[in-house]
Amino acid sequence: MDAIEIQGVTKSFGTVTAVNDLSLRVPEGAVYGFIGPNGSGKTTTLRMIVNIFYPDSGIVRVFGQEVGGDRSSQIGYLPEERGVYRRMEVRSLLEFYGELRGGRNVTADVNAWLDRFELSHCAKRKVETLSKGMSQKVQFIAAVVPEPKLLILDEPFTGLDPVSAEVLRAAILDLRRRGVTVILSTHDMNTAESLCDYILMIYRGQKVLDGTLESIQEQYGNDTIRVSTAAGIESLRELPGTETIRDLGHVQEIRMARGCDPQDLLRALVARTRVNSFSVTKPSLHDIFIRIAGHETEVEAAQHA
Amino acid sequence: MRKILLVAKRDYLQAIRSKAFLFALIAAPIIGGGSFLGLAVMKAKPDIQDRRVVIVDRTGVAAATVIEAAAERNRDDLLDKITGRQVRPRYIFETAAPGDANPNTLRLALSDRIRRRELFAFVEIGSDALHPVKVDNPDKMPESSRVDYYSNGAAIDESLSWISGAVNDGLRRARLTQLGVDHSKFSDVLGSTKLQTMSLIVKDEKTGDIQEARKKSELEGFVVPFVFVMLLVMIVLFAVGPVLGAVAEDKMQRVFEMLLASATPFELIVGKVLASVGLSLTSSAVYVIGGLFVLQGMAMMGLAPLSLIPWFLIYVIAEVTVLCAMATALGAACASPSDAQHLAMLLFAPVLIPMFLLTPIMQQPNGGLALSLSLFPPFTPVLMMMRQAMPSGIPMWQPFAGLIGTIAWTLAVAWAAARIFRIGILMQGKTPSLPELMRWAVRG
Repeated sequence: MDAIEIQGVTKSFGTVTAVNDLSLRVPEGAVYGFIGPNGSGKTTTLRMIVNIFYPDSGIVRVFGQEVGGDRSSQIGYLPEERGVYRRMEVRSLLEFYGELRGGRNVTADVNAWLDRFELSHCAKRKVETLSKGMSQKVQFIAAVVPEPKLLILDEPFTGLDPVSAEVLRAAILDLRRRGVTVILSTHDMNTAESLCDYILMIYRGQKVLDGTLESIQEQYGNDTIRVSTAAGIESLRELPGTETIRDLGHVQEIRMARGCDPQDLLRALVARTRVNSFSVTKPSLHDIFIRIAGHETEVEAAQHA
Repeated sequence: MRKILLVAKRDYLQAIRSKAFLFALIAAPIIGGGSFLGLAVMKAKPDIQDRRVVIVDRTGVAAATVIEAAAERNRDDLLDKITGRQVRPRYIFETAAPGDANPNTLRLALSDRIRRRELFAFVEIGSDALHPVKVDNPDKMPESSRVDYYSNGAAIDESLSWISGAVNDGLRRARLTQLGVDHSKFSDVLGSTKLQTMSLIVKDEKTGDIQEARKKSELEGFVVPFVFVMLLVMIVLFAVGPVLGAVAEDKMQRVFEMLLASATPFELIVGKVLASVGLSLTSSAVYVIGGLFVLQGMAMMGLAPLSLIPWFLIYVIAEVTVLCAMATALGAACASPSDAQHLAMLLFAPVLIPMFLLTPIMQQPNGGLALSLSLFPPFTPVLMMMRQAMPSGIPMWQPFAGLIGTIAWTLAVAWAAARIFRIGILMQGKTPSLPELMRWAVRG
């Protein structure tokens, strides 16, 4: 059974259509990444899954059950605009959120998670006295106590230092190993590439990509070259057969024009400078994102002009 | 229901442990008691500075009798009968000849003396004041028939009543003199009698004896309803006051989205209302039990209207439910806690407006105005409570009719509030206008 099944869902606010005829399936036990620019409809879709918003049309099913039923005990939700009662003590807060969702005593679960995140010494402290990173960990615990069948995380890594981010990443992967389905909304393409089994890109309320990273990259073929040269970006100026060049510092990423032979491009480059490395590869998720969102933005800008 | 109770428990414990609630709970009776103490201090240290009053007598005969009446009043009222201390200012009357010139010239001169604080007031007795013309509209009374009082004092100044009594007494003396009544009979003719208020006679159910009526204080009929109403309003403000700002603050800190994934807006709003009802019942228990102990300690338990306490609690619950639901909805609709503060007056109108109506309703508790206003659901808890606490009482059907209206009103407000809350709670950046709020409530 799919953890989530969305069929032809549309949601509008006044004259703005936030989500337009969206359909998707999230397999149980997978980590499913939602990507898309700001305002594309990601959060609206997540809110419909957790039953905060109701779709104008279409069907949302979570573990086979349609919108309207009380399924909140199965879903842990960490919203992007997160906030908790700041004047409560950490333990009381977590027990309140856990009991509200789970309907049972969650003291043992709370203790286990506080231990795991090395926050046991903060259990009696008020949330408002915690650092931002600690506060975010507490909010994450509030979403996973008691352990949900479906965990929805909207930008969970925002504002975390690398160490805390790594702890959180490990916790997410651990939950997946235990069979929890995870939906992860993120702007960080590296996170999506490394953590997600499936990736969905929403743009202007519509699905534009859906599948595994490999299947998505397959759609674009081996049209990307990663190159490192002695002269750097300057050696790539007006190089024939290139469509776009993305400077990553020591390495540049070239998207080849349709029909271009990479051997011709290598020859032209060798004629200009010394080539340290040259590899033909599939486009990164970041590049694919830019191709979709960036291109449309350019078209829109041109239309306005 | 479990989620509602969980939300209610959290909000209740959070509020009851707050310093603000404990402070308000303790401070209110202290402030209330302090104001009574202030009144007592003011009474103990009255303003007893002499007050000089000029009489401009156009009758030619009234001034002397007015001065004579004032002198008698000074003699009788100046000192406390028990302590012998002066408790009122002495009024010193003098006359000013009206003269033939423009009357306004004299009035201006006397007014200037008042402004320079040489005089307290001046009274101008019209030439026909002893036998004024009969008119239907007192405002159309000709100047010659009037007695005009000029002063810088407030209209409710006790001096006005004192001087009015002395002037009327003096005018009556002048009329009696004209009628040829012997001067020595004046005190008999003009003496006044104070009415003693008594309780109604009751029959002892056990013995069948008819019990003696007891003397009632003039304040007794006023104090009980006043205390009930003040207590009701105070408890409602304590319980509901913080809700508006707290919801707006929680909204600003984005607390609700995570909660809404676990509980419906209806469960959240009902939980908050229950918490406020719990707070109000806690305050009520403290004040009612405390009040009964005080009355028992003062051997005044007979004054305690025990039969009204259940009604008091019903009205507290109804008022808190309505206002807390409104506060939650308005707080959810506001963009910031400061916006919420601006709406506080609108929120508390159902308890504040009846406060301005207390005097006319206490004067005629069974009049048409009192009945219709107390059956108007938003005002029912405060006004019906006060009418029920008045010594005259009200027909039994009225509180029940009021209660039905109040329950219907409470359900309607809670329903609309839940719809506003659901829409407003995730909106950021803009406080909706009143028409928008109405649209949310109606269309959802």
